[in-house]
Parts: sequence; C-alpha cells; structure tokens
Amino acid sequence: MKAYMADVWRFRHFWLSLVRMDLQARYRRSVLGIGWSLLHPIATTVVLCAVFYQIFHMPVREYLPFLMAGLAWWGYVTGVIGRGCQCFVEAESYIRQHPVPMAVYPLRTALGAMIHFLIALAVVLLLTWCFQGFANLAALPAVLIGLMILLVFGWAAGVVAGYVNTIFRDIQHLTDIVFQILFYLTPVMYPPDILVRSNMTWVLTINPLTHLLKIVRDPLIAGTIPSVRAYGAAAATTLLLVGVAALLLGRLQRKVILYL
Amino acid sequence: MARIDLDHVSMTFRVREQYQITLKEFLLRGMYRRLRNPLLKVRALQDVCLRFGDGDRIGIIGGNGAGKSTLLRLLAGIYTPTRGRRIVAGRISSLFELSLGFEMEASGRQNIVYRGYLQGESPRGIRAKMQEIADFSELGRFLDVPVRYYSAGMMVRLAFSIATAIEPEILLVDEVLSAGDMAFQDKAQKRMRDMIARAKIIVIVSHDMGSLPRLCDTGVWLDRGRVRKVGPVREVIAAYREHVQGARTSESDAARDDHEPVPTGFAQPALR
Repeated sequence: MKAYMADVWRFRHFWLSLVRMDLQARYRRSVLGIGWSLLHPIATTVVLCAVFYQIFHMPVREYLPFLMAGLAWWGYVTGVIGRGCQCFVEAESYIRQHPVPMAVYPLRTALGAMIHFLIALAVVLLLTWCFQGFANLAALPAVLIGLMILLVFGWAAGVVAGYVNTIFRDIQHLTDIVFQILFYLTPVMYPPDILVRSNMTWVLTINPLTHLLKIVRDPLIAGTIPSVRAYGAAAATTLLLVGVAALLLGRLQRKVILYL
Repeated sequence: MARIDLDHVSMTFRVREQYQITLKEFLLRGMYRRLRNPLLKVRALQDVCLRFGDGDRIGIIGGNGAGKSTLLRLLAGIYTPTRGRRIVAGRISSLFELSLGFEMEASGRQNIVYRGYLQGESPRGIRAKMQEIADFSELGRFLDVPVRYYSAGMMVRLAFSIATAIEPEILLVDEVLSAGDMAFQDKAQKRMRDMIARAKIIVIVSHDMGSLPRLCDTGVWLDRGRVRKVGPVREVIAAYREHVQGARTSESDAARDDHEPVPTGFAQPALR
C-alpha cells in the first residue's frame, strides 16, 4: 500500500495538471467563469429560503448561510461520486497509453470537486460574516479537519464508484436516484430546531452522511466544535470506504482496462 | 539494465458478444437474456515465453489478429496477464495509437506537457525538451491552437515528437508510421533509428518486411496467440513468408481443382 501511494506521488505532476485542466476546460468559453459553479447552490438556496420563510417563517438571516453551506457540501458529495463513476471511462485514452496507478483518476475527481466546494464555502463565509457575524472564530480551524476527512472520503468513494460503474455502466443512474432519496434523509435543508420536534431524528443520526456534513457545517455556521461522536462517525465511515478502496486497488490495475 | 521476461504468459479476454452488460442483466442472469448476449473467451495470447536483455532489437510479425498489439500492450504494462508472470525492468516509452490521449480543448503546447507528465516526466524535464519537441513537430504557430482543430497528420506529428523526446530504456512501437506523409515518414524513421541507438531494448510490430531487418536483429513470429518461431530476424521472416505463400498456393491449387473461392489467408483470432 505504501509503495502504491509513493507511486501515486511520483505521478503528482500528471494528476495535478489534469485537475488544472479540468478547471480550465469548465470555464474556458463561459461568461461568468467560476461563477457558474456557484449559481446552482445560490439559486437553490434563494428558492428554498423563500419557501421556508413563507411556510415555516424561518428567519432568513440565519437560515441562508446555513442552507448554502449544506448545499455546497451536497454539491461536493454528489459531484465526487457522480463524476467519480465516470472517472475511468473518461480517462480511457490515458489508461490505454501508459500505465499509472489507477487511484490517480478518482483523486483528480475528488480534488476538482473539493476546489469547487472551497470556492462555494468562501462565499458562505462571506455571507455568514455579513448576515450574522461569526459566533466563534476560534472554531473555524476545525473546518479544515472536516475538509481533510471529506477529501479522503471523496477519493475512496470515487475509487469504489468508478470501479463499479466501469463494470456496470448503469450504476451512475442508480446513484442519481439514491441521492434524490438521500437528500431528504440528510439534514441539508432541515434547520436544527425543527428536527427536535420530529420523530425522524433517528434516521438522520444513523445516516453516516449527516456526520460528514456536521464536521464541516457546525464550526462554520454554529461556531461549535463538532462532538467526538460526530468526528468518530465521520472518520469511521471514511476508514471503511478507504478499506474497501484499498482492497480494490489490485483489481483496478488489472481489470479496469478490460471493461473499457 | 533493461530486461523483458515473459514466463508462460497468457492473456484471455472475456467479451460480451453484443454490448456491455448492465447491472439489471447481471442480476437476471438466469433468464433468457443470457442466450442473446453470450460471453466469448478470446485467447489473445497463449503460453508465451520470451526473454530479452540489453541490446536486443526484436521485430514481431504475424497475421492480423495474431496478438501482436496485445503482446505489446502487455509489455507496456497496460494489460496484466491472466496467467503467467511478466517482468519488465527499465523505463518504457511506447508509440501506439498516437492520436489517443490528447486533450482536445487544450493547445498543442499544453498537450506536450500533459503527455510528458503521463510518461513520468517532471516539469523541469518537459521545459527543457519543449523546444526540441516543438521544432521536430514543425507545427509552428499551431502549437498554441487547441488540438481539436488539428488534422490527423498534425496530431500524429505532435504525438510522435512527444513520445520520441523521452529517452527510453525500452522502446515499444506498434505500426504507427503508416500515418503521416512521406516527408514525415522519412523523418520519423531517422528519428527512430537514432532512438534505437540510444535505447537498450526495442520491440517493433510491423508488416513492413523490407525495413524490419534494418531495424531489428531478432524476430518473433506470433500465430494465433502463440509464439511460432523466435530467432534471427531474416530466418523468421523467411519462415513466415513460406508459410503464407504455402497456404496460398495449396489453397489456390485446391480451388483450381474444386472451383471454390480462394481464402484470404488471414489468421483467425483464437475464438471459443
């Protein structure tokens, strides 16, 4: 495993240049440039905020940054798994040319998604500062820990998703549907106080994605350091995925090309 | 010290006849769909044993479908043998499917950088070689234009320039020179001869029996996935020629007698 990681590091120029190229390709011929990747979460935020204000009388000032942070995170998770499904298929021409450690391609996807996430988070920071001020500046560095865990999670998820989708090309559609459902089982748009009154809380607690969301959103919006339980659950989920991904590494090298 | 060691290597592909299977079909395997999309086993290579070291220049010949490209990709490390052991030591540079691996939206220069990185170069190494690659390709100002606007010949020039700027210990070449115009072909052949002088092991797949003895000293004849003959290149070429012509004459004799059409003499890939 260590030798494998060293190999991945050896090709760092390659996958870093791919990440850079992905960013450039996405914004090359567009007007707003990077603004486009923000448009989706911003639009959804505004709409949901307006709806929740009218129906549930949610205070916009608190809800807007909260919601947008959640939506940016959701964009990362769906992006990393959605694009992760395609990571080997879209890299087919590279795979056919020269052997590199296969984990490089999901890494490219995860890093690209993370960069978009960071840009969105920067906007969230701005909004939080404007609307409600920072509850606890000292808690902010905890966001970085959350982001690192998310990056590893994204990479491992990309490996698994990419492998499975290369074999069964319809897995991608399956993930779309699963995410539709998961959106309502993850507290992305549910404000924290609404949850206390419902009996759906247990669903949200057993959903591992909830904790992965908490470790990033809580220090940012609420100003609290996430509990040990949240970190533990997030780390455990990530480690589980990493374990599965590590088991697949040998197969990736041997088999992916045969399914392309 | 470069080394190639293939020890009883076999490569079998499992291919679905109609289209790639979906999850739904996989789960419903027991039902009638299996008959409409059966699994085929293609034994591309069977029990190949080859051993080469520094200074060997190998030419691989054989009919279409004999497994030559598969063998080359296996040597490059793109395929892992389904059986047997493959040991290849040394820095590999490969020239096959030259127009693959281009980022269409990126310029020629950027593609030089990406492909260089793909082959394991560092930024400093690429920067040092950039001018040499640009000059060899003779693309001039087109290097700053996205590759999607290139003609096929331009892409071949670019890919060839990049691949041959690396200094390999093992060079693998797969019939690429057929693309490109005559001036480029001459230039490419000369470049390859220079590379051959610098590389330690060279493996070339070619149908051009005339030029092969000039570039190689050892010949490998692949027939339906098996190594039929290994030896000095002229002997192997002669044996192959004899086989092909022998087959054609015996078939045309039979046809004259029975008034049947003469088969073309393509080797069938070993299908089961």
